[in-house]
Amino acid sequence: MTGPYASPNPETFQDMAALALDVSLFTSEFRLCDTISEYLADIVAQSHEDPSRYANFSSLLINEIVELAFRSAKPVGNIDFNLLRGDACVRVCVGFTPDRTDLLRWQNLDRSARREEYHPDHDLLVLAEAIKVNVQAETDADDRVILTADFMLQEGA
Amino acid sequence: MSQFSSSFSAEFDDINQEIVLSGRIRPSSPSEMAGVLDVIRRSLNSNGNVIYLNIKRVTHLNMTAFRCLEQVLTETCKTKTQRNIIVVASSVIAWSAPLFQTLASIQPNLSVEIYDSAFYPGQTFVEDESFIPILRTQTKMTWRHEREILPRHGMRNGLSIADICCGIGDFATLIKRQFEPARLVALDHSKRSLDYARRVAAEFGLTSIEYTYGDAAQMLLADNQFDFVTCRHSLQIFDRPDILLRELFRICKPGGRVYITNEKNSHCLGEPHSESIRWTYEQVAKLFSHFDMDVEMGPKSRRLLNDAGFDDIKVESFMVTNLDGDPRDFADVIEAWEDVYAGQMAVRRGDPPDFIRRFRQGFKDHVLAALHPKGYAGWPIWAASGRKPY
Repeated sequence: MTGPYASPNPETFQDMAALALDVSLFTSEFRLCDTISEYLADIVAQSHEDPSRYANFSSLLINEIVELAFRSAKPVGNIDFNLLRGDACVRVCVGFTPDRTDLLRWQNLDRSARREEYHPDHDLLVLAEAIKVNVQAETDADDRVILTADFMLQEGA
Repeated sequence: MSQFSSSFSAEFDDINQEIVLSGRIRPSSPSEMAGVLDVIRRSLNSNGNVIYLNIKRVTHLNMTAFRCLEQVLTETCKTKTQRNIIVVASSVIAWSAPLFQTLASIQPNLSVEIYDSAFYPGQTFVEDESFIPILRTQTKMTWRHEREILPRHGMRNGLSIADICCGIGDFATLIKRQFEPARLVALDHSKRSLDYARRVAAEFGLTSIEYTYGDAAQMLLADNQFDFVTCRHSLQIFDRPDILLRELFRICKPGGRVYITNEKNSHCLGEPHSESIRWTYEQVAKLFSHFDMDVEMGPKSRRLLNDAGFDDIKVESFMVTNLDGDPRDFADVIEAWEDVYAGQMAVRRGDPPDFIRRFRQGFKDHVLAALHPKGYAGWPIWAASGRKPY
């Protein structure tokens, strides 16, 4: 299920699925995190050799990303979920606008700073490292946070 | 001592010094974990040098829950340095061992063990690859009957189907070819059997069967997904068939059907030498019972399905005989049974040589009945199904 970190060339990715939700709807019920995570994980795993098991595996990290967005998103605008397929992996991207008070911390790309417990994506990094999935967090020109996870198409790949 | 919430629970088994945590644990805040943590905390404080935390049946977890567990486990590791905590994870749940290993790497008295065999008592007896041809022959013999029986239980083209405990996957490939399901998931707990199943499916050009490694008692498949769920010859080798049936019920759509087959081994028969054959198969039933398996389950199917909540229950029996196709196939199956039942199981039970000799004789007489030009040999099977209410 797990493998070494990979950083595939973004140019090789193709759109698989996209979902945009109003943030206030998304944050209205915590249970939606679970529902959305399972939905995305099922798509991530659909071409895997063992789809059910890989969906369970990938939903762990996807759920953490979705829960992080749930806790961090400013309650205006949209939250975007995008799935992209590359040659070696399926990429999950979740984009949202964070609360202004958190923006500076999200903009700090220093990985060691992110390992500090106060950082919003601390737990996500710990989990990703434990299960050996590559995750990244970045902010775009519109100050939106984009959380990305790459799930390998082949076991052990 | 136990604590249940709607989706997860913790129970302490003080005989085995085991905390069993199970379910889908994705709380929105630590407060939702309070009851479960209380059970874990009190269990960890009980007597004993080793405490097991069984997470085999935790299918989902979030970091909120993990941090809560980490805190309780770390507290105990630090305050009870002589106490060893062993986290028992399932190989089916690919994330659980690596995640809990992060705790084991910090706490010297905490370790993680991966549980990946002996899900069911009978597993070790039939996982030998030499048994595969026999399993295929058995399916070939039963399929002659089941291809006619299945439509009476609701099987038709285009359904979404799950074959649970699919073994080497031969039944799934037959279903695929005969009934062209819209979706077909085949689950088993044996990686070796699944590897074989994938190879066979690929050889037949059957690319759309979803083989999945899993524990049938806690499947990763979502609720209400399948129109038709099959589970053949497997409930009888579970020590807790009610748990398995609960899972079959869960994944079946309302209005869908669960189809099971089971045997009544003591009713295997043959002529000539009927008495010897009868005695041996009565002993087979007792032997399986010794290992917590019930190969007399066939006629109990109606009750089991009823107790599990199904309605519109249908039950029928059929007899696989030496007259179905090549009698040599029947004889091969009996010889394989003799090897496993007399050669392995009876030996493991500690049966004396005289018993084993007499036990083997019944199988030999059954083979003789199968191959005798005027002989007759039979193996009775019960096929039953129930509908999940709307």
